Amino acid sequence: MTMTKPIATTRSASGIPTGRLAIWWVLASEVVIFGGLIAAYLMHRLGHPEWADAAAHTNTWIGAFNTVVLLTSSFTAVMAHQAAERGDGKKAARLLLLTVGGALTFLVVKGLEWRSEISHGYTITANGFWSFYYTAAGLHAAHVIAGAIIMLFVARDAAKNRELHRVELIGIYWHFVDVVWIFLFPLLYIAK
Amino acid sequence: MSEHKINYTKIYFTLLALLAVSVAGPFIGIQWVTLVTAFGIALVKANLVIQNFMHIRVEKSWIKWMLSFSILMILLLFYGVAPDVMRHEGQNWTNVAAQAAVERGIPDGEHEEEAAHAEAEPALAVEESDFAAAGTYVTYCAFCHGVGGRGDGVASSAFDPRPADFGAAAFWDARADDQVALAIREGGAAVGRSESMPPWGSVLDEAQAAAMVEYLKAFQTGG
Repeated sequence: MTMTKPIATTRSASGIPTGRLAIWWVLASEVVIFGGLIAAYLMHRLGHPEWADAAAHTNTWIGAFNTVVLLTSSFTAVMAHQAAERGDGKKAARLLLLTVGGALTFLVVKGLEWRSEISHGYTITANGFWSFYYTAAGLHAAHVIAGAIIMLFVARDAAKNRELHRVELIGIYWHFVDVVWIFLFPLLYIAK
Repeated sequence: MSEHKINYTKIYFTLLALLAVSVAGPFIGIQWVTLVTAFGIALVKANLVIQNFMHIRVEKSWIKWMLSFSILMILLLFYGVAPDVMRHEGQNWTNVAAQAAVERGIPDGEHEEEAAHAEAEPALAVEESDFAAAGTYVTYCAFCHGVGGRGDGVASSAFDPRPADFGAAAFWDARADDQVALAIREGGAAVGRSESMPPWGSVLDEAQAAAMVEYLKAFQTGG
């Protein structure tokens, strides 16, 4: 038997490549997951003026640094996509690895930030604000970890000029993770 | 597919510049400016990423509708639930826990340091070393005796006789402080009062019960 791809992989009844259609479906549900969490945070924050006292303890500079890291990783991800479109799998793979480097930097900084906050007694059970803080940033960090792992697989194939279309797909997901952080940053670090 | 005309580098630096503005916003010290630089710019940044990095502007239009539908669902969720969450009382209901959290959470003047300390080390809030009568009252007493101490907590109507009203001078005239402290530690029955008043000896030691009595006296309106 020769190895053939499933029909669903190659057909495109919707006019959109199946993989990309799938990514958009994933993101449509991710919008509801993160959107629900952020909406719940917003309504509680507005109903609890005292949360501002807790929010005053988050470190804007650490949050801003991590925003720069994620924006940069989004930039390398879109450059990887551009390289893949030009058929340069090796360059795409290098840029994806740079993006993974951004993901790791983000996670290390977040880990240090949390360690410092927890050592000061600001744990997930301290009060409502910190519960949302760790839940929202934690769910986001889980997406960063998942994206970085998938990106390693995509980069491995891309380096051999295989499955280059996946570079765009992981990129779309990665930009979404970036967009979520763009909203979490003002919600958790700036509005005090 | 994507347009190669998009200048990704330019968009990246625009994003960084916008980030700088949103970080600088709060330094101006005007609340509405902070809100605009924080959330207005977040929307602009998100739009730049979605349009140019995710290439949604050259994507099929129904993908945009699909994602918009998800956002619409979130708006529905928000407007459906937010009124109940953001308001802490209505015509026939009171969210005692939320009211208590608001009251507990805003430090007033001299208690500021103590409250900040309790926030930093929540597990220690009821320990003798930094016993805070206000927090303990809200947690254990307010449900029956009311946030204002007038014996009008949410559960008060379930009891006969009603929970004690600490705002009434008659209450304090009729009994000695150590009797009140004893009732707190060993329950209403121990002083020949309502058995509905449970013993809180496992929560408050003698010194704390005495401190609580002092705290309760402050509810007196002087009338």
